[in-house]
Amino acid sequence: MRHRAVASFGVLLVAIAVTVVATRSVAGQAPSPAKAAAAKKWTVPRTPDGQPDLQGFWTNSTYVPLERPNNVAKAIYTEQEFAAMIKDAAARETEQTEPGTIADVHYDFTQFGLDRSQSAFVKTLRTSLIVDPSNGKLPPLTAEGQKRAADRAAERRRMGATTDAVQNMPIGTRCLIMAGSGPPMMSAGYNSNYQIVQSPGYVMILVEMIHDARIIPLDGRAPLPENMRQWMGDSRGHWEGDTLVIETTNLNGKNPYRGSSEKMRITERLSRVDANTLGYQFTVDDPATWSTPFTAEAPMTKSVGPIFEHACHEGNYGVRNTLVGARLEEKKAAEGAAKKTSQ
Amino acid sequence: MRTKHVIAGVGVGLLVMAGPVRAHHAFSSEFDVKKPLTLKGTITKWEMINPHSWFHLEVKDPNGQVVEWMIEGGSPNSLIRQGVTKNSIPIGTEVTIEAYAAKDATNKAVGRNFILADGKRLFVGSQGSPGAPDSGPAAPGTQPLK
Repeated sequence: MRHRAVASFGVLLVAIAVTVVATRSVAGQAPSPAKAAAAKKWTVPRTPDGQPDLQGFWTNSTYVPLERPNNVAKAIYTEQEFAAMIKDAAARETEQTEPGTIADVHYDFTQFGLDRSQSAFVKTLRTSLIVDPSNGKLPPLTAEGQKRAADRAAERRRMGATTDAVQNMPIGTRCLIMAGSGPPMMSAGYNSNYQIVQSPGYVMILVEMIHDARIIPLDGRAPLPENMRQWMGDSRGHWEGDTLVIETTNLNGKNPYRGSSEKMRITERLSRVDANTLGYQFTVDDPATWSTPFTAEAPMTKSVGPIFEHACHEGNYGVRNTLVGARLEEKKAAEGAAKKTSQ
Repeated sequence: MRTKHVIAGVGVGLLVMAGPVRAHHAFSSEFDVKKPLTLKGTITKWEMINPHSWFHLEVKDPNGQVVEWMIEGGSPNSLIRQGVTKNSIPIGTEVTIEAYAAKDATNKAVGRNFILADGKRLFVGSQGSPGAPDSGPAAPGTQPLK
């Protein structure tokens, strides 16, 4: 009986906390009893070969941070607190910064569709995506993890400014891969869209930023040998009930996740929660970096297709403009210094 | 040289702290905060390329000479989802653009605001745009058209 009560409470929590959004729902509105009943009746759709059907266009765009903010003590917001948090976050996105300050050198995000509030975004009441540890924070770094962070910082200092050479620029700026491409799949800030396609034996996840396709075999084949390393690692999937479980190893370490090592193992769990929600949970296990594994929940909501091509290299004037601008500034500074010396 | 690094570092720091200001690259490395400008001209071309679109603009300089400017704008993927397509911005549209000039000494700038002749902003999405929630009240913080 108690078990059942706990289970019902769990369902309620899922309905309140994880669910989301649906394009028809009103921001901040609690689910009505009628809606809850409808959610109960909803059954997981199947593909022709009988797999749970995860296919479609999804977004994980969210205002919920990975880690719980320092000034927040609770795990779940009330509806009112959530509405206030969203209002505050959206206002910060829309506000005009002080003209003449460095922070002002960017677009007005509302004009360019880059602020999250104009598009579909996931509305959960969680105060952090991290659900374990229960404090909503990343676990403490191990000594090895601390040393790696210090070594990486020292290497960045040794290399010089990001504008000194193209190799110094962040890999996202260089259009190699975006931090949110995954795994784990994280909100990219904008264009956080995914398309899932299933066929017998495979699941493919197309990531809009920046046009990466994760092709995940489900046939139980052996993983790649340890020496074969890839940007997005080597993934294998299997079904546990109606949940797709994806295990990934063999990352090349060039796109570390929050300071992770190449030894990171990521376990992702994808499942249909309702017609408009895809549950997404991931566990990061990297004993070379964190003292314990951690788990986060970053559900996705229905997005609008198709996934537009993000051919980032072809149009990347920014790298050239930045490097040329930096060289001109150096030249000007050198000329200024020479003038001063000659005076 | 040293000063430049410090400034670039501060710029990145501010962008990170600002949180919502998450875009493809650190704008402050490419554009000059000391060179804000307002350009009034006619759109001649929109390059719908990623990671950033570029708007070409013909602007009359003080001597009456027509000068071409290139203005960096948001990801076309985002704009298309908001219902902004090449049809929404016909060639010949007159706009006033508030921008910061590029550091590379050419006629390039990052467009902060695109304002039409009647004072409306050019791209602000509406609740009816394809990527937006299609019912309910305006999303909090969304700026209505002026």
